[in-house]
Amino acid sequence: MQSQKKNTRQKILEIIGENGFILIFILWIIFLSLTTTTFLKSQNVFTVLRQAAIVSIAAIGEMLVMLLGGMDVSIAALLGFSGIVGVSLMVNYGVPPLLAGLVCVLVGGLIGFINGILVTKVRINSVIATLGMMTVLNGVALAYTQGKTIVGPQLDTIAFLSRGYIGPIPIPVILMFIFYIIFYLVLNKTVFGARIYAIGNNEKASWLAGIKVDRLKILVFTVAGFLGGFGGLLQASRQGSATSSMGNEFLFPILTAVILGGISLSGGKGKIQNTLIAAIFLMTITNGMVLLGISLYVQGIVSGLILIIALSLDRLRYRKR
Amino acid sequence: MTTILSLKHISRAFPGVRALDDISLDVGQGTIHALVGANGAGKSTLIKILSGALAPDAGEMTFRGALYAPEDPSKAIRVGVSTIYQEFNLLTLRTVTANINLGKEPERFGILNEQVGRKRASDALARLGASTIPLEATVGDLKVSEKQIIEIAKALVSKCALLIMDEPTAALNESEINSLFRIIQDLKKQDVTILYVSHRLKEIFALADVVSVLRDGKMVLTAPVTEVTPDSLINSMTGRKITGAFPEKYTVLEKEVLRVENLCSPMAFEDINFSIHRGEVIGITGLAGSGKVELGKALIGDFPIQSGQIYLRGAPFKPSPSRAKEAQFGYMPEDRKKEGILEELSVQRNISLPSLPDLSRFPGFIQFNKERDLARQEVDELDIKTPSLNQLVRNLSGGNQQKVSLAKWLATGSEILLLIEPTQGIDVGVKFEIYKLIHKLSSQGKSIILVSSELSEIISLAHSIIVLFNGRIQAELSGDQTSEEEILQYIFGQIKKEKSHEER
Repeated sequence: MQSQKKNTRQKILEIIGENGFILIFILWIIFLSLTTTTFLKSQNVFTVLRQAAIVSIAAIGEMLVMLLGGMDVSIAALLGFSGIVGVSLMVNYGVPPLLAGLVCVLVGGLIGFINGILVTKVRINSVIATLGMMTVLNGVALAYTQGKTIVGPQLDTIAFLSRGYIGPIPIPVILMFIFYIIFYLVLNKTVFGARIYAIGNNEKASWLAGIKVDRLKILVFTVAGFLGGFGGLLQASRQGSATSSMGNEFLFPILTAVILGGISLSGGKGKIQNTLIAAIFLMTITNGMVLLGISLYVQGIVSGLILIIALSLDRLRYRKR
Repeated sequence: MTTILSLKHISRAFPGVRALDDISLDVGQGTIHALVGANGAGKSTLIKILSGALAPDAGEMTFRGALYAPEDPSKAIRVGVSTIYQEFNLLTLRTVTANINLGKEPERFGILNEQVGRKRASDALARLGASTIPLEATVGDLKVSEKQIIEIAKALVSKCALLIMDEPTAALNESEINSLFRIIQDLKKQDVTILYVSHRLKEIFALADVVSVLRDGKMVLTAPVTEVTPDSLINSMTGRKITGAFPEKYTVLEKEVLRVENLCSPMAFEDINFSIHRGEVIGITGLAGSGKVELGKALIGDFPIQSGQIYLRGAPFKPSPSRAKEAQFGYMPEDRKKEGILEELSVQRNISLPSLPDLSRFPGFIQFNKERDLARQEVDELDIKTPSLNQLVRNLSGGNQQKVSLAKWLATGSEILLLIEPTQGIDVGVKFEIYKLIHKLSSQGKSIILVSSELSEIISLAHSIIVLFNGRIQAELSGDQTSEEEILQYIFGQIKKEKSHEER
């Protein structure tokens, strides 16, 4: 096997060469570990990873949709909406936390399913369909909560999801890695995964090969919904409450993580592990600036610039080929 | 011999067109059955009906003795009818293995069995004598001929008994065509029936057992190949007599319009020098990968140039499509569908597109009557067959689309025309019309750069011929004093001809 002959150093160089953003990520880490004393402390590392957990889990769903050549802009609204449903069931209706959590995830899946139907059967462009869905979900969330925060002692029972530890490792970090391992296997070892790449690469060829393209697309949107719903549960656990706007902050980082991670906007191309790295990268940007004591007002400028540089490097490399 | 596929009284109409009119056809098992016909004869419609992409309005088909009425292409594939279209349906980003197994991936409980997948793929490739293609290669990186083999391998894995091939040699060079023929003969020995759709008569005589001719939606002839001649086939395809003779070339005028000096481009071509005069047709030919297409594209700014200079009417020219347009330098690209026409726009708008600034009044309102007149003029001039100027170009036949791709540049009054493979995938009837057109344009003093793999067309049309080999000029020949045999020697790099010193 040729690939096994290469030594680790060559492999690492190859991975960096393929993904310009990883180089910037590494430089950023080196910079932070030299300029701050706290960045590489395990406590801070776990803080970063914990912050990355929700974004990166929801980003798996977004990534699957984008591998098909689509885009789900409702994922953050879906996350917030499912969170509200779950919290409200627990607080207002006394539903047992396990059941409420399950419903929370299922609601996400159901919304994803509807997205899938709109995209395949009604034939609406995925960006437009999910944009509509996002608006509806945000509206319903606002109407239902009346802009108030839903909070109650029942939520303590799910707090462990975001604040608990197994040994020294926070539970959300463990969940994050479990999800990534599962979906790595799904994408690389299963027929389902092979067909996601196939459809994203050439929908017509896949259809001609007898693949039920619509059914698979609906399934992907549904899975994305489940993941978003689970993200909502984690966010509810982290906040210990639910608000109508609880999903809003996630849209930008989710999309950025997936695109930065190198998923082609036209579909069919990209690796899931890069999405994870990109999601963690995003969190180190904010984390690093806090550690550096950069003013909140300047943080937006810096994080935007770092992203643009990382993406440019990627595209320039790509163009050179 | 048993009949594997039988068509009885198949008809299909589209608004305004009767594409297929009462077609009956029997295809014998294990034969190579060729299907020929002029543009718009109904070949594409027939292929679509056979492959399940289209349903007939009337008539009945049987396949292996059972009623055959596939609802969609995947059903057709399942019963053993696979179609390889001119435009491949491949996953260009995926591996050879993934492509060959697409849609029928070996699995257990949804988990891919990669070993079985690789085995199947390598078996299929071995059957095609193509074990050299690496299973892990990305299909987009393969050569066209290899991609075609992948398509055939896909069909084998789905156990096809009837393989329909639509113009399979359109993008292949001579040696690739020969190996494809070997593959097809092998498949025949393995009892796979081939329906071979082509416009290249030479291939039909080399390959087919039986030939059927479609004309204007009717099946006008089905006969063993031994009982027909090229002339008789052309006659039944066109219903009129076409002689193989080309019109005589016009004399070239003295004035130089375009000169290329020491043009180099990384990986494609090196040290290219030539010039072209008013009314001259210059032919550029070579094998696939010789750099001929890249050279053509570079002239118009569609391929990067590293060094060297191009002069247009004596002034340095930095290639770009917009500057070329200003300099009345028009370009008919190789990939008609992707680059030459806008399928979803009307014939009128396709023709007028580069001329729109001249057809509009301040501050940019299009004068539709002028646009219509211009389009009408070109449609008449080039004899483009379209029911109306508002017809979408994607509804035209390939040859007429090609004419539209050229018409838009003629409409802007282009003086220099770059044509890349202008007759690729076009049937003989329209091909000859395009030859006549090139000839006429030359007589009007227009200069034409003709990049083509078809030697007969280069020899008959071009005043001078440049043969490229491995990116370098292997020979410069005069169109009047050369032969296909001579060009072939240069094309394969067997001998090299230094630039002749005689002045024009």
